[in-house]
Amino acid sequence: MASIVLDAISKRFAELAVIQDVALSVASGEFVVFVGPSGCGKSILLRMIAGLEEISGGALLIDGQRMNEVPAAERGIAMVFQSYALYPHMSVYKNLAFGLETARLPRAEIDARVRKAAGILQIEMLLERKPKALSGGQRQRVAIGRAIVREPRIFLFDEPLSNLDAELRVQMRVEIAKLHRDIGSTMIYVTHDQVEAMTMADKIVVLRAGRIEQVGAPLDLYNRPANRFVAGFIGSPKMNFIAVAAREAPGGTAISLADSTLSLPLAPAGAPLGDGVELGVRPEHIAIGGDCGVPFAPARILHVEHLGGATLVYAALSDGQALTIALEGQRDLAPGSVVETRIDPALCHLFASCGEAFQPLG
Amino acid sequence: MDSIGAVAERRPLLRHRLSQAARSDRRAYLFLLPWFAGFFGLTAGPTLASLYLSFTNFDLVQSPRWIGAANYIRIATSDVNFGAAMKVTFLYVALAVPLKLAFALAVAMALNKGIKGLPLYRAIFYLPSLLGASVAIAVLWRTLFSGDGLVNKVLALVGIHGPSWISDPDYAIYTLVLLSIWQFGSPMIIFLAGLRQIPRDVYEAASLEGASRWRQFRRITLPLLTPVVFFNAIVQTIDAFKAFTPAFIISEGTGGPVRATLFYTLYLYLEAFAYFRMGYAAALAWILVIIIALFTAFSFLTARYWVHYDE
Amino acid sequence: MSDAVAQRLAMQRAAPPRWRALASHAALSAASLVMLYPLLWMLASSFKPENEIFGSISLWPSHFDTGAYLRGWTGLKINFGHFFWNSLIISLLCVVGNVVSCSLTAFAFARLRFRGKNFWFALMLGTLMLPYHVTLIPQYILFLNLDWVDTILPLVVPKYLATDAFFIFLMVQFFRGIPRELDEAAMMDGCSPWRIYRKIILPLSLPVLATAAIFTFIFTWDDFFAPLVYLNDMGSYTVQLGLRAFVDSSGKSDWGALFAMSVLALVPILFFFLFFQRLLIEGVATTGLKR
Repeated sequence: MASIVLDAISKRFAELAVIQDVALSVASGEFVVFVGPSGCGKSILLRMIAGLEEISGGALLIDGQRMNEVPAAERGIAMVFQSYALYPHMSVYKNLAFGLETARLPRAEIDARVRKAAGILQIEMLLERKPKALSGGQRQRVAIGRAIVREPRIFLFDEPLSNLDAELRVQMRVEIAKLHRDIGSTMIYVTHDQVEAMTMADKIVVLRAGRIEQVGAPLDLYNRPANRFVAGFIGSPKMNFIAVAAREAPGGTAISLADSTLSLPLAPAGAPLGDGVELGVRPEHIAIGGDCGVPFAPARILHVEHLGGATLVYAALSDGQALTIALEGQRDLAPGSVVETRIDPALCHLFASCGEAFQPLG
Repeated sequence: MDSIGAVAERRPLLRHRLSQAARSDRRAYLFLLPWFAGFFGLTAGPTLASLYLSFTNFDLVQSPRWIGAANYIRIATSDVNFGAAMKVTFLYVALAVPLKLAFALAVAMALNKGIKGLPLYRAIFYLPSLLGASVAIAVLWRTLFSGDGLVNKVLALVGIHGPSWISDPDYAIYTLVLLSIWQFGSPMIIFLAGLRQIPRDVYEAASLEGASRWRQFRRITLPLLTPVVFFNAIVQTIDAFKAFTPAFIISEGTGGPVRATLFYTLYLYLEAFAYFRMGYAAALAWILVIIIALFTAFSFLTARYWVHYDE
Repeated sequence: MSDAVAQRLAMQRAAPPRWRALASHAALSAASLVMLYPLLWMLASSFKPENEIFGSISLWPSHFDTGAYLRGWTGLKINFGHFFWNSLIISLLCVVGNVVSCSLTAFAFARLRFRGKNFWFALMLGTLMLPYHVTLIPQYILFLNLDWVDTILPLVVPKYLATDAFFIFLMVQFFRGIPRELDEAAMMDGCSPWRIYRKIILPLSLPVLATAAIFTFIFTWDDFFAPLVYLNDMGSYTVQLGLRAFVDSSGKSDWGALFAMSVLALVPILFFFLFFQRLLIEGVATTGLKR
């Protein structure tokens, strides 16, 4: 178990800065997920922690000790690779034992550790097989096993589930979460899938273009996104963004769009109100009919998807702006009809043109 | 971390970084140690030394004596052997390479029709390439084409009285050309690999449009195969310039009869190791380098007018 | 494309007309026979009684006579067994040298980070184009001064110094095809570059190492030029030099013996041809080896 501190870490390839002044601290035993679109630098950041990429600037501390110059193998870190990177010419047993043999551990100790890890992951019966003879899920387990046997202070996962099919992915997600509960090591997990991030993390780090956009617990990010990017990235279906005219009003901000005016208990964080303010409201926070919340705007239904447990409605406001609505259960709605929508002002977000979120009042 | 701490932190960082890079450099250079020794000791050094020697008179006994461009001047103006060697070598290259490639391509096309027994045919045609450079094969060739050799026996069956091919200056070179063509197997394999790369649907589209077989060959196969043709032509030509063993064995190391098989490399060998004119031989070697370099440069310059690359 | 047209096309593709296939087979078989005839004739002649060799073009001796092999084996003042032994030692030493030194070099170029890498790599590729005749004379002078002439050292030592750029290039290409994540996983497992080379890269590169080994063996076994230059004493002759000496001495009077020794000289190559044909042919097809 170990704490990690990234102190203004940056990475440059020649003149190109791919990671810029990233500062983050990870508590001992925490499960942290780096999430962001491809190319945001999340994998490189992970590889810098692992010691596979040199750190161009800033400091990496593990348990308070500077690690920038420490070789990968001596950082007490194990890593699970996206492609698993199992040694194809070695049996599963050899794959697990290889790192321990490299460290010249006694044979008995190696055997004990390998069998223990195999037990945890339920791969005892696969130990004599070559990776080629394993299914995707089994390979994944071996890759994790190879990390476990080294009894590292820190586990790193680089998109470990992206090569699995949807069903296995859900299963492995649960197992990795369970593994974390059982051994309690510090874990950093990289993914581009916000569902994985939401379901597994103690703490999510949202990255974009080499910078941290927001750090927080999953529900914090969902409930209080710091900016438009995080708001759009976390949550599925994606949050609706609707251009509105906004002005200061007693008790918050008054916004008006096509046919209606609303007052929201939000205020701009610093900058004065300007053009380009957008209203953000999640599809699941919009109702059609009923009496909760306040009336929002009439919308014309363009298309309806019936998922059984939920109904997705794609609609347009009278000025043409798109609106996605997620309703619980099965609803009978006809495309072409115009419906009244309702929203709860407490669940609305406003974003300034720079993307920054308005703050709740009081 | 306070700012003083940050400044104090920066100095060791720089030192560490440098030493880290130096460490990985050192490790890489350890891996490269044999190559460096070979590169400097056996390639780069000797290359420069031979350039120097080519401007000297050197017989291995007395130390090299600088004579300026005299070697090159003699080669260019008064060396009948050089003229003969050039003639023989260029004739050999000009005949052997195109014929060998044409053969290789023709057989590769015949084999690429999904014919049964392809691996067997391919192996049979490849075998001579694999064996061809052997002294044993040169010995065989010598006997095949001698006055009472197998070739004349076969010709006699159809009533032709063949000459003594090997010892006739008019014919000796052609037996070597034939020996080279006999080894068409390896370019054939490369052509086969190239033909496999051409997608089938291109031909299907062409035959739907009613293109004849000849037209398909001219308009589809050949253009798409030009990169392979180019590669084979360069490799085979450079190799032909360097041919040595068969000429040596067939002429018993003389290049005869009457210089008819005096290949360039054979001439170079004789100058160096029969007459010990090391400086002169070095000059001959450099002329060979220049010829090959000019040929290669010329090929690459003209390539863009006839070699078809994707994109 | 209508179904009928598609079907007809598919049929055409699957089976060319019968007569055309037959004609192809006839032509290819005839060509095969012409190609192989000289080799078979040499093999047959090595078993023929002497007077039959030039008397007939038949591929079948009237009776099998192994006398030529005995006469040839002892035909020179040193027997051929000695030459075979010399050739075998030289070839095996060259194989080891080439595989080890070229793979070390290729590993550094394919996998390690170091300053000046691109520069040295370009120079290495440059030596591919350089005909050996340029370095021949200074190398000879060097080995003469080291007193290495008439030993096997000039033939073997260069192979330990990665002078065959072609094989380096071949291995670099192969190593680059091995996923880099394996190296990284091994780094995380605490491996030094040396251990990555030994335990990961080499075991995963057996096909390319075997290709390099076999071609090195064949090239060295067949090599005539370098032994001709460096070995003057018959005691140190290779098979190729022995054959040539045989041609010069008794060869013209005893063709049977000469053919017998020629056949034996080809046996190791035929062995590789028979048992490693796929590697050889793939080696040629994918790399353009000119043999």
